[in-house]
Amino acid sequence: MNAITRSIDGEPVTTKLAMKMEDSMQAFAVRAACFIGELDVPYSEEFDGHDFGATHVIAYVGDEPVGAVRVRWFQSFAMPERLAVIQRFRGHGIGQLLLERCRKLAESRGCNMLYVQVLPPDAKFWEKQGWRRLVPEAVSSGAKPIVAMVKAVDPSKPLPKVEAPEAVVLRRDQQLDVSGLPLGTASN
Amino acid sequence: MTEYPAAARSNRPVVTIKLASTSDELMQCFALRSAVYIGEQQCPYWEEFDGNDFTASHLILYVDGEPASSMRLRWFGTFVKFERAVILKRYRSMGLFVPFTQWAMEFARKKGYSRVYLHSQHRLWPIMERQGFRRVEDKVFHFSDHEYGAYYIDLVPGADAPTMHSDPLVLNRPEDRMDVPGILEQSTERGATNPHAGWSERRAN
Repeated sequence: MNAITRSIDGEPVTTKLAMKMEDSMQAFAVRAACFIGELDVPYSEEFDGHDFGATHVIAYVGDEPVGAVRVRWFQSFAMPERLAVIQRFRGHGIGQLLLERCRKLAESRGCNMLYVQVLPPDAKFWEKQGWRRLVPEAVSSGAKPIVAMVKAVDPSKPLPKVEAPEAVVLRRDQQLDVSGLPLGTASN
Repeated sequence: MTEYPAAARSNRPVVTIKLASTSDELMQCFALRSAVYIGEQQCPYWEEFDGNDFTASHLILYVDGEPASSMRLRWFGTFVKFERAVILKRYRSMGLFVPFTQWAMEFARKKGYSRVYLHSQHRLWPIMERQGFRRVEDKVFHFSDHEYGAYYIDLVPGADAPTMHSDPLVLNRPEDRMDVPGILEQSTERGATNPHAGWSERRAN
């Protein structure tokens, strides 16, 4: 775990990279709680087949897993996604902490750009955090319109000439490899 | 595995129940419990994943192939304990709970168990009683922020429930498909070559 950055009710807030099965399990549990439990996302969309080609970062309050984010690695950028914080721990900047851990991780790997896809109503919030729109308009990918946003890994350096292969990245994950969908095993 | 109702002829959803027998299916059980207990009921992670998940059997129910409901069964000496029964929000009101519980009871009965024990949240007592469950005693206790009562029901164990004198290869079958030959029965075709034994005891296929 990294240095203690802050605390909630006397419990330290920390982040760590998932290294063991139990760590990954905790990241999955947090996402299932938020996306499947709260937002009603189907299991097969939430666990889309990319979890074992990605890096997972988990946030803890004490020893309780309360937040998670998944980073997927592309040639010219790193893509944080599936950012989740358990409801009763929101409002403490845990999401920011997770994204900062992603930024540092990207930096340590020599990656110089972060790329995210956000919902249009959230775009302003991300802009305040220093992200900028890759293309001005929301793009409809599948059911939901999304806004593609980017941020330099090192804020002191200008963002490199953007080469995000939109056509691929803006596709919903399922379309990258339709046959790879981890649907319920009873049906496939 | 049990399927009902007959799928192709109607547009009613296909409900499938099975014993979770792969790591993906186990992962689905954990995701459902996280969604309901951690996401909806605000249960702390370490209370939900309490250390008993790898001593238990997990059942999973699919609706049209999508994980919808799960239950954990722990096997004690004289009874089986049903626990951690969840149905995802969007699949409630489909009447899944009773057939799922019945499936689990049938599973336990075929395995040779004669009693099911469970802790039921207070609000679910009428549903348990309608299914024939009885209170173990009047005591009400609480954990993880909910009030519980202990319930039990007696089962009539299957006549062909496994014993030490059952066919050894029947005992090796996957537990939710004890009535059909398992993969190890197929392996008997290869004969006993005793591949790790000394040369003198080895036999060719």
